[in-house]
Amino acid sequence: MIVQTVLLVGLVLFSVLALIVKDLLRAAISLALASLLLGIVFFRMRAPYAGVFEISVVAGLITVLFILTIALTNAGEEVREARLANVVFPLFFVVFIAIDAFVMKGLLQKIPAVPGAPESGAFGEVLWKGRTLDLVGQIAVILAGVFSVLALFRKRDKHE
Amino acid sequence: MSNTWYVYLFFSAALIGAGVYTLLAKRNLIRLFIAIEIIGKGVSLLLLATGFARDNILLAQALVVTYIVVEVSLVATALAIIINVYRHTKSLDIRKLAKLKG
Repeated sequence: MIVQTVLLVGLVLFSVLALIVKDLLRAAISLALASLLLGIVFFRMRAPYAGVFEISVVAGLITVLFILTIALTNAGEEVREARLANVVFPLFFVVFIAIDAFVMKGLLQKIPAVPGAPESGAFGEVLWKGRTLDLVGQIAVILAGVFSVLALFRKRDKHE
Repeated sequence: MSNTWYVYLFFSAALIGAGVYTLLAKRNLIRLFIAIEIIGKGVSLLLLATGFARDNILLAQALVVTYIVVEVSLVATALAIIINVYRHTKSLDIRKLAKLKG
């Protein structure tokens, strides 16, 4: 549990770094490192497939998309953030963590675990046989993503 | 639930809290989207931790994998919209989107 806690602390630290660091490129890299740590946490929870997806897709592909967007827009620095927002964030976060810890301590042993049937079989069976309708929804979401990107980047006609 | 689950709940609440604050306080579109990603990380951590605590890790894993696949689609669309917004307004400031045309 100690290694897991260290990994989780690192995850929160890199996530907060991604939110507060001024340079957007560094923020994207911090986000990738946070994803990497989350992937390792998944591996240690005996969820290798989720870990592989988290590391390859989120830490890899999504970071590349972020960096590409930052390079294409090239305007990250000119947005003027509210000065108060940067000053208040550390204060907010410390107070939030304190309240969070206090609430969790109060909740200890109070949330009952709903009894359920134990799982059996392989991950593939649960992934493909347990889900039918939401798989159709997932395909629709992926297609919607592809079509929306195509629509957003289409070449405009001259008379338009 | 086991005591370990509360540790995961604590950390995912911290991630979600930091993300929500940034969504409310910052103005850069890419930064706002990074905040949404971090909220998503908190939620997927909590999903998997709950599955782990209840010995339902396979189902939780299937849900997280589904979420990651949908997330990629979401990220591609949102970043394409951000690039288009930048082409129109020459800025990533969210306040410039307050002016609607038509």
